[in-house]
Amino acid sequence: MSTLAFVPEETDSPENEDAQAADDRRPVFSGLGIASAVLGLLCVAAIVLTSIIWSTHRDERDELDHQSRAMQVALNWAGVLINMNKDNIEASVQKLHEGTVGTLNTDLDQVIEPFTNLVKTLQLRTTGQVNAVAIESVHRDPNREPGSAPPDETVGGLASRTDTVLIIATLTAENAGGKRPPSSLNLRIGVSDVDGQLLVSGLDLLR
Amino acid sequence: MRNAWRVFAFDIAAPLAAIAALLTIGYALDWRVWWVAVCSVLCTLIVEGMIANFVLFRRDSVTVGTDDDGPGLRLAVVGLSTAALVAAVLVTYTQWTESDRDLARNMDDVVQIAVKFAESTMTYSPPEPTTAIDRAAAMMEPEQAEKFKASYGTEAKNQAAQNISAQAQTISAGVNAVSPDSAVVVVVVGATRQQPGKPPERAVVGLQVVLSHESGQWRVFDLIPISPAPSQ
Repeated sequence: MSTLAFVPEETDSPENEDAQAADDRRPVFSGLGIASAVLGLLCVAAIVLTSIIWSTHRDERDELDHQSRAMQVALNWAGVLINMNKDNIEASVQKLHEGTVGTLNTDLDQVIEPFTNLVKTLQLRTTGQVNAVAIESVHRDPNREPGSAPPDETVGGLASRTDTVLIIATLTAENAGGKRPPSSLNLRIGVSDVDGQLLVSGLDLLR
Repeated sequence: MRNAWRVFAFDIAAPLAAIAALLTIGYALDWRVWWVAVCSVLCTLIVEGMIANFVLFRRDSVTVGTDDDGPGLRLAVVGLSTAALVAAVLVTYTQWTESDRDLARNMDDVVQIAVKFAESTMTYSPPEPTTAIDRAAAMMEPEQAEKFKASYGTEAKNQAAQNISAQAQTISAGVNAVSPDSAVVVVVVGATRQQPGKPPERAVVGLQVVLSHESGQWRVFDLIPISPAPSQ
């Protein structure tokens, strides 16, 4: 049965002609019909507004999720860096390499030289502990020339965005000579989104 | 054709839109228990209404949407759907849009306050030994401010009395954690300390600034040094 099955069939009887005439006199849109139409438009507007609100909220939530993932990637990477020791240095450097992109990937050995040199020469076993982590929202570089170009957030066009994660860690090192006093490490780690994969693209040691 | 539209609009779309609006409200409210109860009752009533409408259609060949003698009932159906959808807009706006805006504003505010506070805490000079400390203390509640001044203010006075001055500048800062009534901000400050006859000493210090939301504004609650403080 179609949805129109209940529509009465038209006949030519006098009663139906009267009813037809009465229908013709009735206005096409009654006051209540117009009110219903107005409410219907309000419904459509409400649906559109709810969709916009939901879409904006989802974008905000995605942004927070992305920042959270960037922090986790930076934490994992920094965890390898600050827990390097004489026994696992090769494997650690390899792991750090795999998690990087851009110039950091090519210059990694040079960038982490202060860590590797320390571990190699002093035969250190280091234990790092992260004390605080945050997505950086304020950065003032005292060495940056006024008017100079801002850092490239696309890592030479490879990444769609880069977030900077600020990590404060405590490093405890010991060797055959005994335990050294703990030192503090303030790291800025750039995490770039390369085709959906989060990779470390920058490392600054704040000192 | 006209009847088909009326069936679609009043008998199908309107009740389904109302149910969708009620479910959206529940989602926005994280399915609070009271709403689960209210939503269940309302959705059951709507479904019952749809079933009754279908049964009456089978019997009388007329529905709420096609009954020319019932424009008031149609208006009531659309009115209830509109009410549910408008409620969904208001609830999602307050639960999502406003909370997102509050979060963004709070994150901006707490970082700015923490940066100023951290810099002021580590700044002093012989002519103005506690000016910056007083400025920092003004960002705290009176009780915490007294403790803060007793600790950092006294130290700054002692340093200034020895003709030592220090200047701090934030290098990096970000929000560690934030909720509507408390926040922790990580600040890395570069401090330069100058003593007559000696070269300037520079140290980079990591701090955690704990803030609380009191009386509609963010106030510093505590300062926790993470890195070893520069030697004094």
